[in-house]
Amino acid sequence: MPLQEILYWISSQFLILKNILFFLAPAIPMTIKLTLVSFTFALFLGFLVGIARLSKNKLIKSLSKIYIDMIRGIPLLVQIFFIYFGLGKVLNLDRFLAGVIAIGVCYSAYLAEIIRAGIQAIHRGQYQAALSLGMTPYQTMRYVILPQSFRIIIPPVANEFIASLKDSSLVSIIGLRELTRAGREYYSQYFVDFHTWLVVGIIYLAMTLSLSRLVSFLEKKYKVHGYGIQH
Amino acid sequence: MIIQTKNISKRFGELIALDRVSFEVEKGEVVVIIGPSGSGKSSLLRCLNGLERVDSGEIIIDGIKLDKDKKSIHKVREEIGMVFQDFNLFPHLSVLGNLCLAQKVVRKRDEQTSEKTSLELLKKVGLLDKKNSFPSQLSGGQQQRVAIARALAMNPKIMLFDEPTSALDPEMIGEVLEVMKVLAQEGMTMLVVTHEIGFAREVADKIIFMDQGKIIEEGQTEVILNSPQNPRTIAFLSKVLK
Repeated sequence: MPLQEILYWISSQFLILKNILFFLAPAIPMTIKLTLVSFTFALFLGFLVGIARLSKNKLIKSLSKIYIDMIRGIPLLVQIFFIYFGLGKVLNLDRFLAGVIAIGVCYSAYLAEIIRAGIQAIHRGQYQAALSLGMTPYQTMRYVILPQSFRIIIPPVANEFIASLKDSSLVSIIGLRELTRAGREYYSQYFVDFHTWLVVGIIYLAMTLSLSRLVSFLEKKYKVHGYGIQH
Repeated sequence: MIIQTKNISKRFGELIALDRVSFEVEKGEVVVIIGPSGSGKSSLLRCLNGLERVDSGEIIIDGIKLDKDKKSIHKVREEIGMVFQDFNLFPHLSVLGNLCLAQKVVRKRDEQTSEKTSLELLKKVGLLDKKNSFPSQLSGGQQQRVAIARALAMNPKIMLFDEPTSALDPEMIGEVLEVMKVLAQEGMTMLVVTHEIGFAREVADKIIFMDQGKIIEEGQTEVILNSPQNPRTIAFLSKVLK
């Protein structure tokens, strides 16, 4: 093959990739927005359920256990279908809200277990010291236990955040125009599957890698003096 | 009578931790509790400030009856400081932060007042230069002295010490006992669970010997140490004094 043809081929490849990127770019903010909103919701809900898991009240405790077991036992994709096509018809949910609820509820179950474990990891002596100083159970949680748990749970919570970014692609199935949906649209117009999904994959990778970087930065920043090497 | 207990009992499942224990402590008295491990000494201290709840019996601290009511437990805890075997300092806070936290959130003191109190107490335990250190940067003896200062910052009327030197290397025991001696001389009411018989001989007004959840023998320090009557007390003392 003459050199000229090779160069032409290469530049045409880049042109295709560039076209795809330009087509997909407007959908990226939706992926980010969907992830941020649903994960914030998941954190809030997960915190409540995680605390409920530790409740002395047996009813609250077993209800939260049932919630976690149920949510974790059903595929996210099925939950999305159920919430959008099942509940959505009754409650009149739009695609975005249905996606937020589905991802939020699903991830809240995983986060609840992480938060519970983070609280339980704190040594019993810390409660006793705080209580014996006259602090209430609430003050003990707020000033002694949670600040220590927080550091323990940053890495696993960050993992879930990255996972939720990837799982936001599932919401494409109900027609929300986020990154994966935009990829499908491009593909069905131009039929270049290799290039389309290559670019979609790279965009997700770029987002998840930057998040990992951000997490290690945060971990370093919030590291406490010699935490974990007591005595 | 600043501490009064009447027939308190406590079980953990099958295990009887306290079996109808009654004793009294006068204001300003230093009482040392000795006995083999598992004899219920620590459980007794924990019951006094409501960390454990008794199954039956009565505890009265400074006129407040300790019952299931959360308010009474809270009131009693404000009167009592406790020092633990493994220090239990808050690892995420500096030394100063450890001392100030409860003063602010429980006693509602402002930043300035609580810091002033803290610095005075750190001076007293000889750790003023460590005020900005974190617990993990301190030796065991230093951590325990911070823990004592932290409890004192709440101006308790009674101090409970649960084997305060058992987790320490031998060369650090002295510095902690020294702080406790000063406290005793100042007239603090103290209940000390310890194996340091030398400390008991020097500081204690009264010794209580416990075994299997019961008070076996109690009395003035010299009497218990020099002429114990009960065979179990004799056997225990002959082992620890060896």
